[in-house]
Amino acid sequence: MGAVLVLAAGPVALGAAPTPEPTASPGVAGPGAASRAADRGTQLYLENCASCHGEQGQGAQRGPSLVGVGPASVDFQVATGRMPLSHEAQQARRREPVFSAADISALVDHVASLSGGGPQIPRVAPGNPVSGREVFAANCAPCHGATGAGAALTNGWTAPPLYDATAVQIAEAVRVGPGLMPVFPSQVLDDRQVDDVTTYVRRLRGERMDRGGNPLDRLGPLAEGLVAWLATLGLLVAAARWLGRRAGE
Amino acid sequence: MITDRLARALDDRLRLSPIARRALAKVFPDHWSFMLGELALYSFVALVLTGVYLTFFFEASSADRVYHGDYAPLDGATTSAAYASTVRLSWDVRAGLLIRQTHHWAALVFAAAILLHLSRIFFTGAFRKPRELNWLIGVTMLALALANGFTGYSMPDDLLSGLGLRIIVSVVESIPLVGAWLASLALGGEFPSDVMIPRLYVSHVLLVPAVLVVLISLHLGILVRQKHSQFPGPGRTEHNVVGSRLWPSYTLRSLALFAWVLAVLFALGGLVQINPVWMYGPFQPAQATSPAQPDWYVAWGDGALRLFPPWEFRIAGHLVPAPFLPGVVLGGVTFLALYAWPFAERLRTKDRRQHHLLDRPRDHPARTGIGVAALTFYAVLVVAAGDDILARLLRLPVYDLLSVLRVLVLVLPVLAGLLAFLLARALRRGDAAGVGALTRADLRRCAPRPAGPSEGGDGPGGQETPAVDRPGGRIEMWPEGDAWHWRYRDDAGRLVVTGNRAVLSRQEADSAARLAYPGVDRIVVPGPPPAAPAGPIRTALRRWGRAMAAGSLLLAAIVDRRRDRRRQERERADDTAQAEDAGSTGDGRT
Repeated sequence: MGAVLVLAAGPVALGAAPTPEPTASPGVAGPGAASRAADRGTQLYLENCASCHGEQGQGAQRGPSLVGVGPASVDFQVATGRMPLSHEAQQARRREPVFSAADISALVDHVASLSGGGPQIPRVAPGNPVSGREVFAANCAPCHGATGAGAALTNGWTAPPLYDATAVQIAEAVRVGPGLMPVFPSQVLDDRQVDDVTTYVRRLRGERMDRGGNPLDRLGPLAEGLVAWLATLGLLVAAARWLGRRAGE
Repeated sequence: MITDRLARALDDRLRLSPIARRALAKVFPDHWSFMLGELALYSFVALVLTGVYLTFFFEASSADRVYHGDYAPLDGATTSAAYASTVRLSWDVRAGLLIRQTHHWAALVFAAAILLHLSRIFFTGAFRKPRELNWLIGVTMLALALANGFTGYSMPDDLLSGLGLRIIVSVVESIPLVGAWLASLALGGEFPSDVMIPRLYVSHVLLVPAVLVVLISLHLGILVRQKHSQFPGPGRTEHNVVGSRLWPSYTLRSLALFAWVLAVLFALGGLVQINPVWMYGPFQPAQATSPAQPDWYVAWGDGALRLFPPWEFRIAGHLVPAPFLPGVVLGGVTFLALYAWPFAERLRTKDRRQHHLLDRPRDHPARTGIGVAALTFYAVLVVAAGDDILARLLRLPVYDLLSVLRVLVLVLPVLAGLLAFLLARALRRGDAAGVGALTRADLRRCAPRPAGPSEGGDGPGGQETPAVDRPGGRIEMWPEGDAWHWRYRDDAGRLVVTGNRAVLSRQEADSAARLAYPGVDRIVVPGPPPAAPAGPIRTALRRWGRAMAAGSLLLAAIVDRRRDRRRQERERADDTAQAEDAGSTGDGRT
């Protein structure tokens, strides 16, 4: 259900939140602009993040440490709207991002300046969907489902649907491993493989994949069974009743 | 004209007319619930028709194939031939996806229609003597339908169905002593074996369908041989059937239903996507996808496996693995109970008489209660098979949901069965027409008595005679040409039931009427009975239809004559041009 809502709102969400493109990396125009961005980042961090993650990102009772998480993680969490959270939650869900692209970039720089280290925001290039499909089936499908529709995990965690993630966000998730997701460093999946799987995942959201008609949210055989029962009872048994009643006349 | 002569020629050689006359005059009751089995029959026909098309393109082999085609994420990938040909069928073969999806939808509807038909038979007691044989055949066909659905679902060798196949193989392997032998006998080795898909294919397109065709023929043959059952009502006895003749009225109605079934199945096949194997990817033993469910008709087994606690124990040193009880035992008990039900009920009720008049579900509260409880049980199991989907949609932890379902699967059937039992009893005791019309007084009347099994026994014992209309009913017989006809008329004259076959003598009409309505007075009346006046719309339609027919005939005649004239003119023109050959071509054309 969430997948459909998000799918329906997909283009809008993308329009509202232009995420940093592959070129987005720390460092903007001139030195004056840089210091202004740094101030903005500090301000945003203190206003929105420090209450849980601590003023220096050292973590606290309510939130984990941000030491060494790296720019990719911060960008992923903020650009997908998962952070900032208004209240503690086991698993933040994807929303409209709260900040503009420039603010997100300033925040990312600020958190990176606190400790350093961690994976950088990946650069994504178009890849090969055929090998991307193989990488996806071997590494992603067990949790996100072969159709990318998402699935339930243990203890109330879920693997979210992948349809509204941008290419950069997919690559970030692969490198960072948010939540229960495992980390896939470059020793496991090299950059080309990440490009391939990103290309395949971006293709999964396309309507062209649903060649057979209404995809029923790609929920699988039980949703199909429900439709079959509705058709049997609502159309076929109703037809039999109608024919039988006409015979009585 | 040609059909007439053909029929006469066949009749001269095979003496078909007595059989055909008898068969075409067979009476089918009009109640809609008697058509549920036909839904299953026509879904099966749709399955055969679409399945034949699929066999032209499906390659049942696990050998390596390189897929080249429209589906870009697999273009150039090496997969099994079965999977590659299914993707090609879906993306590159003209109408392949429509037919494949229609085939799959037809399988789902087939199983659903069988279940509905079985429920109708069960709740109305239509399995009682003399119809036990057809009940056994029907239960066998249900089992075969489930099995064939599963093999068909598994054949494309996609990731999702491969997981299901792995589970079934594990369930078979869990049988103590013989399990591993059975599994390796069936697969010809360890689980993803090379002969697996060819064997699935042979059983799916040849063995099981052939057995199904034989059983369907038997099922229908017994149905024709026996008198059709019917609901009790005025003019209906244990000895007759009130309804429509096979030809023409019931045939047309049945064909209309066939058209409905085909229309709905093809509409589903064209509009709603089912089993998108191209997205699931080919089966690899090391890979998985989630959420993973089987088709709904085997989902109860999956649900039982999910709900049942992981208990393992040893009997005489042999390990009984966890899937044995929910997988093998539950399935076995389910079908054993279905097979044994008619005989168990006869043991319990000591009722050995023949029954051609059906119970209404309320007439037998214990049976109704048990049936509702069983259906609820399996429905909860099917829901449990979707626990991960439900958990995601409801945003609940899977294991919490599983605990709730474990309680529900035990509690809900009991509650639903008890409720059905009490409602049935209230309906039987009171005079309410349906569940909606039950009053509080009706319910109170049934409540104080404990819900004991004492109800099960008596059944609708004294309903054998048409009680309401007995006093003044009479049989009227009249000659018409060579033949004698007869009809039953109740004392108010409102209900008239005409015999379905004309006979040659008065004695025959007499004995036929006595068979159908024993103990009713028989009199001879003059002349043909007055036809019921048709309604205004039907009269108008009939008149309009006749006018249209005449008009179109006239139009055709005019067009024909004009064409003739034109041709003659052309021939004349040809004649003048080339004096010799024109005449012969003109003759040849007619």
